[in-house]
Amino acid sequence: MALQDFRPMQERCSNCLNCRWVPFDKLKSDRFGENCPSIAYNNFMTYSARGRFQLGQTILDGDADYSETVVDVVHSCTACGSCDVTCKVCRYNLEPLEHNIELKVDAVEKGKTLPAQAGIMAALKQEQTMIPGSKKAQRLDWAKGIQVKDLFKDKAEVAFYPGCKYSYDPKLQKVAQAALKLLIDAGADVGIMGNADACCGGRALQMGFRAEFTERAEANIKAFNTAGVKVIVTPCSDCYHALKRQYAKLGLAIEVLHTVEYLDRLIEEGKLKFTKPVNMTVTYHDPCHLGRLGEPFVPWEGTEKKIMNQVHTWSPKRPRYNGAYGIYDAPRNVLAAIPGLRLVEMDRIREYAWCCGAGGGCSQTLPEYSAWTASERITEANTTGAEAMVTACPWCEANFMGAVDEHGKSIQVFDIIELVQQAL
Amino acid sequence: MALTAEIYQAFEDVVGKKNISQDKGVLESYRCITSQSSAHYGPYDHKTPLPQAVVLPGSTEEVQKIIKLCNKYKIQFKASTTFWSAMGFIGSENAIQLDMRRMKGIEIDEKNMIAVVEPYAIGAVVQVEAMKVGLNCNIPGVGCSSSVVASTAGWVGFGPTSISMGVAGENMLGAEWVLPDGEVLRTGSLGAGAGWFNGEGPGPSTRSVLRGFQGTTGTMGVCTKVAIRLHPWPGPTTIPTRGQTPAYKASLPDNFKCYTLCYPSWEAWAKGAALLHEAEIVYLGHRQFNMFGRDIKAAMLRILNDPNGQLADLETLLQDPELKKQNELMKMDIQVVLAGMTARDIAYKEKVLDRILELCGGWKSEMMLEKDMQDYVLLYLLRLGHKNLNYTLCGSYEGNYGLSSNVFVATAVIEEASELKDKWAKTHTTIADTGGDSDMGSLSILGGGGAMGWEFFVNFDAYDKASIQGTNDFIDETQKWMFAKGLGVDMGRWNQDIRRKDGLNFTQEEHDAMYVNAAQPLVFAYQWKVREAVNPNHLGGSYYRTLTPSKIGLA
Repeated sequence: MALQDFRPMQERCSNCLNCRWVPFDKLKSDRFGENCPSIAYNNFMTYSARGRFQLGQTILDGDADYSETVVDVVHSCTACGSCDVTCKVCRYNLEPLEHNIELKVDAVEKGKTLPAQAGIMAALKQEQTMIPGSKKAQRLDWAKGIQVKDLFKDKAEVAFYPGCKYSYDPKLQKVAQAALKLLIDAGADVGIMGNADACCGGRALQMGFRAEFTERAEANIKAFNTAGVKVIVTPCSDCYHALKRQYAKLGLAIEVLHTVEYLDRLIEEGKLKFTKPVNMTVTYHDPCHLGRLGEPFVPWEGTEKKIMNQVHTWSPKRPRYNGAYGIYDAPRNVLAAIPGLRLVEMDRIREYAWCCGAGGGCSQTLPEYSAWTASERITEANTTGAEAMVTACPWCEANFMGAVDEHGKSIQVFDIIELVQQAL
Repeated sequence: MALTAEIYQAFEDVVGKKNISQDKGVLESYRCITSQSSAHYGPYDHKTPLPQAVVLPGSTEEVQKIIKLCNKYKIQFKASTTFWSAMGFIGSENAIQLDMRRMKGIEIDEKNMIAVVEPYAIGAVVQVEAMKVGLNCNIPGVGCSSSVVASTAGWVGFGPTSISMGVAGENMLGAEWVLPDGEVLRTGSLGAGAGWFNGEGPGPSTRSVLRGFQGTTGTMGVCTKVAIRLHPWPGPTTIPTRGQTPAYKASLPDNFKCYTLCYPSWEAWAKGAALLHEAEIVYLGHRQFNMFGRDIKAAMLRILNDPNGQLADLETLLQDPELKKQNELMKMDIQVVLAGMTARDIAYKEKVLDRILELCGGWKSEMMLEKDMQDYVLLYLLRLGHKNLNYTLCGSYEGNYGLSSNVFVATAVIEEASELKDKWAKTHTTIADTGGDSDMGSLSILGGGGAMGWEFFVNFDAYDKASIQGTNDFIDETQKWMFAKGLGVDMGRWNQDIRRKDGLNFTQEEHDAMYVNAAQPLVFAYQWKVREAVNPNHLGGSYYRTLTPSKIGLA
C-alpha cells in the first residue's frame, strides 16, 4: 500500500482521540493513563495517531511538506502499536499503526529522514546490522565457546536467532549465551545461522525503510529455507515480530517462537524444572513487539464491501490485529514457575503496556525522547514496589538500563532468561 | 495567514518555544473536515480554518497573558482539549488555537466530595481518581474521553448517571474563568475566598452567563479550573475487569446489578420510566445499544463481545432466529444499573424494580442477563469508555430528531419517527439501514421532570460524499416532520447557525438576519449584551449566539 491508499482511513477517523489513552476500561490511574509516548512527550495533537491521519491527508493534498518539525512528528512514532489497540476497541476499519508506518515510508522515499538514520542504514547495508560500528565479522563472537551446530554447514530442527542487539551489545551477550545453553541443555536439536546470520531488518521497517527491510527479509527467508529448520527461536521481541508477522507476509512458512514461549512449553512438558529460589519481587514489562504486536500473520485476500447501505466491511472477513492474542501469558507462566519470585503488575500491561521508547529506532535516532519514555516506565515500575523489572527484549532492556525514574531512582533490569538461569 | 514575527515572539515569550508552533504541518493537524464526525457541520469539501498558531498554555497565568495578547492584537482564539468534532476547532481565519493539553491537574477533596479539575482532565481519569476514595462523577454522553471542564462549563451534559447525579451543569461548583478580555474571574464561593464548594455564592454568581443551560461552547474565554460535585461510589477502589480486548467486562461485587428492561409498548415504557424516577432506585439509566438500530442491536452486542468479532459477521448474525427474537423482545428497552450501598439496599432496589416491571408488564431481557453480557454492559455504562462506538458502524453518525423532551411526549412519536427513518433507509442508500428506531440517550435528569436527552443515530460514511449529502437530505426531511409535529428544531440542525458551509463562523450581520425573526429574539439580544460586557473585542467566535439589540428596537 502507498500513502494515498490510506485516504479512506484518514477521512474515516472519527477524531475521538482515544488513541492517546490506554483502553478506558483498563484505566487504573491518572498518572499512568496515557499510552502514546509520542504525544505524551511532544504534546501537540500532531504527534497522535489522529494527528498523523490529518497530517497524512495534508501531505497527500500538498498543503504541507516535510518540514523539520513534520519529519520529527513522523519519525517519533515508536511503532509500538498502542494507538492501534485503543482505536480498535471500537473501530473495525482503521489501521493507525499501518498508517503511521506508511507515513514514515513516504517520508523516507522523499529523502525526509532523521540525521542518525543515515548511519544506521549504512550499517545495515554494509555490515548487515542496525547497530552502527558493529562488524559482520564479529557477529558470532557472542557464541564463542558454546558447542552448537552451524546451520550454514550442519542441519538442525531449531534455529536460534539472537538478533543484532544480543549479538553485539557486550552487556547483553550473556543473555543470548544463556538462552542458547538453555535450549541445548533441554535437548533441543538447535543451531545458529553461522555466516548467514544477519539483521532481521525489522527496525528498518519500523523506521520506514521498507525496501531495505524487504531486501533483508528475502535474504533471511532464503537462508532459513536453505538451512531447512522447522522452528526459529529468538529471544529478541523485535526480531520475533519481524519474523513471525512481517516475514510471514513475504512467504516465511517456518514456525517462529520467542524464547519465553519455548521455555513455557518446556516447563509445561516437565522438561525444565527450577531448583533454586529467586527471592525477589519483580514487575514485568511487556515488549510491544512480543505483546500486542506478537499476533501471528493470517493470510487474507479480499475486497471492500458495504453492507446495510453504508456499513464498511471486507469480504471475506479480514484478519483483525488488535493485540487480543499477543504473547502475554507465556512470560508470566515462566515467572510464576520460578520459586520465590513474586510478580507485581504495573498499571499498563499486556495489550496496553507503555512502550520502552526504543521502538521505531527512536533509541538511536531521538535519544532524549527515548530516554524520557523509558523513564516514564521506570517510574511506573518503581510505583509497584518491585525490586526489579523483567522483560523479554534486548532493546527494552538496554533502554531501561540507563534510565532513572522521575525522582532519579533506577531499578534493576533483567531479561527473563537471566532469572530462569538463576533458578536452575 | 501567519502571525508576524513580533506577535509570534510575544506568544512564545509566554509559553516557551516548545509550546507554540506555526509549522504548516502542525497547523493542518488542528483542522477537521467539517462533516467528519457530524454531517450537519458542513459539506464534505471544507475543513475548519487553518489556525495562525497553536499554543499550549501550562497555567492560568499563561492563559491570561495569551488572551491579553489576543486582545492587544485583535486575534480570535479558541481553547479546546479533546477536539471532538468540528465544534472544537476555530471558526475564523484570524485565530489561534489553544490546546489545553498541558493543564491536566486533578485535586480530589474527599471530605467535601468535590473534584477540582483542569481542562485536560478527562472524565475517565477523574472517575478513576474519585473511585479511589469511594466517589464517582457524572460522565456525560460525550463519553469519558472528553474533558470534564468542557462538558461542565461548555455544553449540555446529559449522561447515563444523570438520573442520580444530574447533568454536567448541575454539577458545576466554583470556577476559575479567564474572561475573553483577559481578566480572571473566580466564581461562586471561590470568588469570596471560601473554597470551591458552591457555584452560586457567596462570591460572584455567574452560572447563567458562564454556561446557562446549554453552555457557551468555548466561546467566552477559558475556564482553567472548575470544581465539580462528586457522588457516592459503593464499589471497589478500581473497577476489576476481565476479558480480551475489546470485550472487556467488569467483575464487580453483587451490590451492582445491570439489567436491560423491556416493555410491551411505549406507553408502558414511559410509565416505567416515571416510576423508576419516582422510586429513586436507579444509579444509571440509559438506552444505549439501540444506537445501532432496532434490527441489529443483538447482533452488534454479540460482535462487541467477541474478540474475533467483526462487522462482516453482521450478515450471518442477522439471519440467526434467536437474535431476531432477542431484538423483538428488546424493541422498547432501556439499560439500568442498580448500585446498593448495603446488601439490604440492593435487595430493596431489586424488589422495587421487579414491582415496577410487574406494574408495567415489563421484563428483563434474557440475553442481557448472561453473565458476560451483563458485565460487559455494566463496565460500558459505568465508564462510558466506548465513545467511538458511535462511529463503529460507518465512521460517522448524526444525532438527529432530538427527541429530548418529556418522556410521555417523546415516546409517543418514536414509532412514527422510526418509520420515517426506516422508509428513508430502504429507499435511499445513503444512510445505514438498521431497522428504523435507533433512538438512544439517558433515562432522565436529576429531580425528574421527565426530560430525556435522546437522539436518533443516523450512521453515514464520512468517506462517501453521497452518503454525507444524503444524510443532510434526510435531516431536511426529519426537520420538516418535526416542524409539522411541533417538536422544534431537529438536533441535526442545532448548530447549523454557527458555522457556515465554508467552515467559518457566521458574521454578526448574518446572525442578526437569522435571529431577528427567532421565536425569542430577546434571548439573543441579552446574550449580545453579555458578550459586549465580557468580550468587547469579539474574540470568542459565533458559537455564542447574539443579536444586535437595535435590530429589535432595543438600545
